[in-house]
Amino acid sequence: MDAREKEQYLREYYMLKSKGKPFFPYAVFKDSAMAFIVMLVIIVMSIVLGAELGPRADPTSTTYVPRPEWYYFFLFELLRVIKPPALVFIATVGIPTVCMVLLVLLPFIDRNPNRHPFQRPVAVVAGVLTIAAMAYLTVLGAIAGSPTEIDMKVAPQYEKGKDLAASSGCLGCHKIGENGNAGPGPPLTKIGSRLGRQAIARTLVNPTPPMPPFSALQRQNPQKFNELVSFLSSLK
Amino acid sequence: MPGAFEGETVTRRGLMTGGALAAGGLASAAFGLPALGFALGPNFSRTEPHRWQDVGAEGDFNKASYVQKIIDLVADVGDAGKTTIYVRKYSRAVDGKTTDQPYVAISNRCMHLGCPVRYVQAAQRFICPCHGGVYGPLGQVDGGPPVRPLDRFYTNVENGRVLIGPRFSLDSNFKRFPHPRDPSNHLDGLWQYLYPARPTT
Amino acid sequence: MARPRLPKPPSPRRTPPRPGTNKVVNGKKPGLKENAAEAGIATVGWLDERTGASPFLRGFLYRKVPKGTNWFYTLGSATMFAFLNQAVTGVFLAMYYDPNPTKAYDSARHITNDVWLGAFVRGMHKWGSTVMVLLVFLHMARTFFFGAYKYPRELNWLIGFVLLVLTMLMSFTGYLLPFDQRSYWASIVGINLNSSGPIVGPYLADFLRAGSEFNSVTLSRFYSIHMLLIPGAIVALIGAHLYLVAKLGTTAPPWLKAEKAKELAKEEV
Repeated sequence: MDAREKEQYLREYYMLKSKGKPFFPYAVFKDSAMAFIVMLVIIVMSIVLGAELGPRADPTSTTYVPRPEWYYFFLFELLRVIKPPALVFIATVGIPTVCMVLLVLLPFIDRNPNRHPFQRPVAVVAGVLTIAAMAYLTVLGAIAGSPTEIDMKVAPQYEKGKDLAASSGCLGCHKIGENGNAGPGPPLTKIGSRLGRQAIARTLVNPTPPMPPFSALQRQNPQKFNELVSFLSSLK
Repeated sequence: MPGAFEGETVTRRGLMTGGALAAGGLASAAFGLPALGFALGPNFSRTEPHRWQDVGAEGDFNKASYVQKIIDLVADVGDAGKTTIYVRKYSRAVDGKTTDQPYVAISNRCMHLGCPVRYVQAAQRFICPCHGGVYGPLGQVDGGPPVRPLDRFYTNVENGRVLIGPRFSLDSNFKRFPHPRDPSNHLDGLWQYLYPARPTT
Repeated sequence: MARPRLPKPPSPRRTPPRPGTNKVVNGKKPGLKENAAEAGIATVGWLDERTGASPFLRGFLYRKVPKGTNWFYTLGSATMFAFLNQAVTGVFLAMYYDPNPTKAYDSARHITNDVWLGAFVRGMHKWGSTVMVLLVFLHMARTFFFGAYKYPRELNWLIGFVLLVLTMLMSFTGYLLPFDQRSYWASIVGINLNSSGPIVGPYLADFLRAGSEFNSVTLSRFYSIHMLLIPGAIVALIGAHLYLVAKLGTTAPPWLKAEKAKELAKEEV
């Protein structure tokens, strides 16, 4: 803003302010009402939702699935989807730092003297897109299933195979329903309709690298192997 | 300067101003620097003590699969200082030249962001529950975002007991880095210069 | 011979009569009943005479807010109110909490199960943090969409940004304190996130953890940062933020134009 625009703004502001109402009691009333509502919301949430305390912290645990608080879900989802190890630090510190720098320097980046939303399309669109992206990532992070469980419902005879698939690391490279990673392996949600039973068994025993072979499982425990194949064949 | 004597270089005012700034600076430094040192002190002393811990008799372990054991990582924190490790006897067929230790003791800390990994016998893989990291039977990265193989511990055998020593890190070629790094710290090639060894390890 | 004497200095101006005293009503000095009726304003007058606060308060309370100020403008003070809730409930929780890693979980369980209204106060603190983060983001969005970060309020935006970062740090450090599974692992991941930054990252993580591993002073460090360091900074910055808001005034909603609003022709109170 140059000096002329600054002066014009200050003049207009002075006029709008002098026609306004005194802070006390008009604005103070609104602030107090809002404070009361905030208090009510906190109290109701505390009574209804309670303060649960999970099990004691156990650093030796091997079964716990850590999750952050809900307002960090968008960062958590970002970390989940950025797979290549070389890009990890971009997701952890790169993107958040860039966003914070843009946020703090906003008054110096945005040179538009207008404040009406119709006269600052770039700022409004950028703001709406950012909020939408954060909301989307937050929702994705909230529904992201654990990579060691398969949440989809299956018929009872496939439950054992499903548990075996969940705990054998398949979800590290494949997606089954909502669980698992989207790469480097293809999604298995409908694998039963793409490959027959024999083809699935063959792939498990003699897969394309980097998929690890499950021939050891077939040798040592053929029944479990068959349960796994049955479960996968049922995914249609 | 007006009102100054012949040859006067510093006015009384200038002297007082400089003196006030110097004295105030000294006073601030006198209580600020020790506070800063207090806060930064732990950055310069080693955290994990170097010692050997007994985890069992030689007969408890085998060459084929990993046995889960619990050791003390940090001394005086009680349960919060323990961690789980997976121990397997060295086997030339499996390990080859990747290690010179009599036993392979692998840490359960994921090398992406530190979540606890678990060993799955059926797939012979280490699986991380957080962001989908998968490690192979030697702890090398098979898939997902982890940046290097799982950390290991020095091992020794004494009087038929297996002893676990300090921790060390590996790069993707199993080259040993005696000063262990944090998870998410790459060590391959030029990355090792971006994540150098620290006084705390 | 008489010594030369300086003239007497002028007498001080009479102080205004204190309410309730030295007043003659209907030809009588005020009795107990009249004094009691004036006790409230008498106290205020006593304080005002000694602090000189009333010009400041008059200016602060009766300043005009621009035309069109609506309910969106309450988000900032709502955030401050949520922070006050956190501070007060936090003080009560601190009376029972023990920041030793072997005792922290038990003290949190004691607060939740045994202390009278402990679960309620803990719940208020926990959900209050969710509400505060939500309000901070809503307030920031309101400021962004109303263009209230432009001239002359850029400094206020910078202070507000620091307050946002401090609020997120408060939730990060506070999350570890109950020391249950979720707290512990979320904090471990958070510290390792810091560590992933090249070169300085691991040293920052060492500073947060007080070492290369989670040890006996890590929890104390988080507790000290959460209780003392950051709340002090937040209070100071809220003071600066409010000072600027009072001095510069809040913006009018951007759709309001000074010349075009018809109601501007009428005089408001």
